[in-house]
Amino acid sequence: MKKKNSIMGMAFFGPALVLMVIFLFLPMVLTFIFSFTDYFALNPGLTHFVGLENYFEIFQDELFLKSFLNTVKFVIIIVPLQCGGALLLALAINKAAHCKKYFKVAFFIPVVMSLAVVSTLWMQIYSPEGILNTLLEHLGISAQPFIYSSKQALPSIAIMSAWQGMGYQMIIFLGGLQNINPALYEAAEMDHASAWQKFKDITLPELKPLCVFVFITVTIGAFRMLVQPMVMTGGGPDHSTYTMVYDIYETGTVNWEMGLASTMAVVFTVFVVILTIIQNVLTKGKEERKLVHKKAKAR
Amino acid sequence: MKKRWMCLAGMALAAACLAGCQQKDPEPGEVAGYDPGEEYLSIWVHSIEDTEEGRAYREAVESFNEAFDGKYFADIEFVPRNDSGGGYSDKVNASVMSGGLPDVLTVDGPNISAYAANGIIQPLAELTEEEKSAYLPSIIEQGTVNDQLYALGVMESSVGLYYNKDILEEAGIEVPDADHPWTWTEFQEILEELKPLMAEKDGYPLDMTFPVGETSIYYFAPFVWSGGGELVSEDGLTADGYFNSEQTVTAMDYFRMIVENGYMSEAPIDHLFESGRAAFKFDGAWEVNTVYTSYPDINLGVAPYVVSDNWDGGTYTPTGSWAFAASTEAEDIEAATELVKWMSGVESGIRIWNMTKSFPSTYEAFDSIDVFQTDENYSVLYNQLSNYGHPRPKTPVYPQVSTCFQETLESVALGGKDAQTELDKQVKRINTKLERYARE
Repeated sequence: MKKKNSIMGMAFFGPALVLMVIFLFLPMVLTFIFSFTDYFALNPGLTHFVGLENYFEIFQDELFLKSFLNTVKFVIIIVPLQCGGALLLALAINKAAHCKKYFKVAFFIPVVMSLAVVSTLWMQIYSPEGILNTLLEHLGISAQPFIYSSKQALPSIAIMSAWQGMGYQMIIFLGGLQNINPALYEAAEMDHASAWQKFKDITLPELKPLCVFVFITVTIGAFRMLVQPMVMTGGGPDHSTYTMVYDIYETGTVNWEMGLASTMAVVFTVFVVILTIIQNVLTKGKEERKLVHKKAKAR
Repeated sequence: MKKRWMCLAGMALAAACLAGCQQKDPEPGEVAGYDPGEEYLSIWVHSIEDTEEGRAYREAVESFNEAFDGKYFADIEFVPRNDSGGGYSDKVNASVMSGGLPDVLTVDGPNISAYAANGIIQPLAELTEEEKSAYLPSIIEQGTVNDQLYALGVMESSVGLYYNKDILEEAGIEVPDADHPWTWTEFQEILEELKPLMAEKDGYPLDMTFPVGETSIYYFAPFVWSGGGELVSEDGLTADGYFNSEQTVTAMDYFRMIVENGYMSEAPIDHLFESGRAAFKFDGAWEVNTVYTSYPDINLGVAPYVVSDNWDGGTYTPTGSWAFAASTEAEDIEAATELVKWMSGVESGIRIWNMTKSFPSTYEAFDSIDVFQTDENYSVLYNQLSNYGHPRPKTPVYPQVSTCFQETLESVALGGKDAQTELDKQVKRINTKLERYARE
């Protein structure tokens, strides 16, 4: 019986495994191997093993370092914006008396839209004679260059991306909010707790595990940004929106330097993994510390 | 034991999947029209089948098969290319590694050097002088690497300096003929003169941008060439002393001057020229058709491309487009060359003009299309192309050169950085890419 089960299991699992091996694990292993070679897409026959040369090269490459900094900057802007925005939206919709479904759908629509489409749309919004500048003009503010200035381009793209992605996290938060036991709020009301106290002491702690999840997924998503600058600015002006993934893409497919691009991809992956581990430890650490604290108190 | 067996089965399946990707020539009868006794030729093109361009290629291949019935059979495959240039080139790159390149494939003009240097395409079979002279010189030059002809295009392209006739008439400005173009100094004076007039119209003298991608080098490298400069050495392997030469610096500074003096908008404004709010615009030859069909109110003219004050009368205007080449996997180069000649020939050129309004590549095609004789704007562009066409830099690291040119233009003209410093920095980047070719 047991043997039969395991064969059945393998039969179901097998096709998925084969696909995963071919399209995921194999490319991962190959990327790692290529990162130590000078593999050139137009001439794979001439590939040499170059040891750590690529790693030294990219850390001396000004552009790679700049793209790294840009990516970090982007993450720092977008993570609070998108997580905070999603939470606010969820709270507002949760409170709304009418048209809940309408708002849910309305805020979720950008998530379903293709990033390329959203980017093109926002190019119109940000254009020198676009909606936003016309609006600003009415408010007496002079026209802004937005994506055409090296100072404003990255924040402009971050705001757009936060707007686009927010709906997804909003739905997650909404689910969390609806799972909070109403009795907690009733008890708080009896104690004459203010709205802020209720939010701070009930809503936030109850949403904590979700917050951690949202925080990590948004961070990883932000690191992978590529489409927005590709469509809107082409990495410019003056490389101010050139991200790591963009650099990897250009190096590998436009300049055909697959070896170098693989090295960048490995460095990028290692960096994101380390960051995720740190995030995990920090957020988990706090929770566990609290638990210990609570237990000690109870005793 | 069982586990090991399962693993083996899985690996065999994976191997079978991968092996299935390998292409093999079909047998006669498997493809409609491929008869016994005919030689099979595969051809890849970079466009979508269901577009005018795709249909033009399909028809060209069909007429080839008719003309060479019993001898050759060409089988066309469409490999769409997306906007960022992927798709088609990804497939070519993958086939370079795994084998399975077709006999004939399309290559973008500036990439011919890189493809030749890396042994992806091979020289065509010898063409007679008569056959060669049928093509515009720019086509032959584009396809030639180290004195060997690798590729022939069916399309040629050009960029025009368009002007709004009504505005220039209002300002009382005369446009010179093709052999006496405006020099930079003259053009600057004209822009200065037009500035107040265009301000009244809520516009700018010049509708110009420095977009990311191929456009910037294609439109604006002529400013370097007309001053006697080049972006790389003749063998394509040296950038130092060319890319950062005095001529390139002067050209970059000229663009800076245009931005600083407010002759153009720093941030791109859509349809500035087409809405009558700009007197001049640099754009591809397709702009003529766009204005004729979509903006009939604009009184369009084409002025000769402006030249440096030091112009010696040499070639300098933009050219280049996709071309057909024979891959190194083509066993019968005579047959592949025959197909390349057919696909880029007169009949195919006329067809491509009729269906897509792209310029053909042969003199005869131009002569037999009425509009190049009767329409003054088209004839100006044709004359500019045939008399002053200059190919883009021929170097295996062309993509890097193109990117660096655009980035320098942006940081100098829009960012106000020092041209020489920026160009020197870019030369270092190009050099790291050139190392690969210096090693071999």
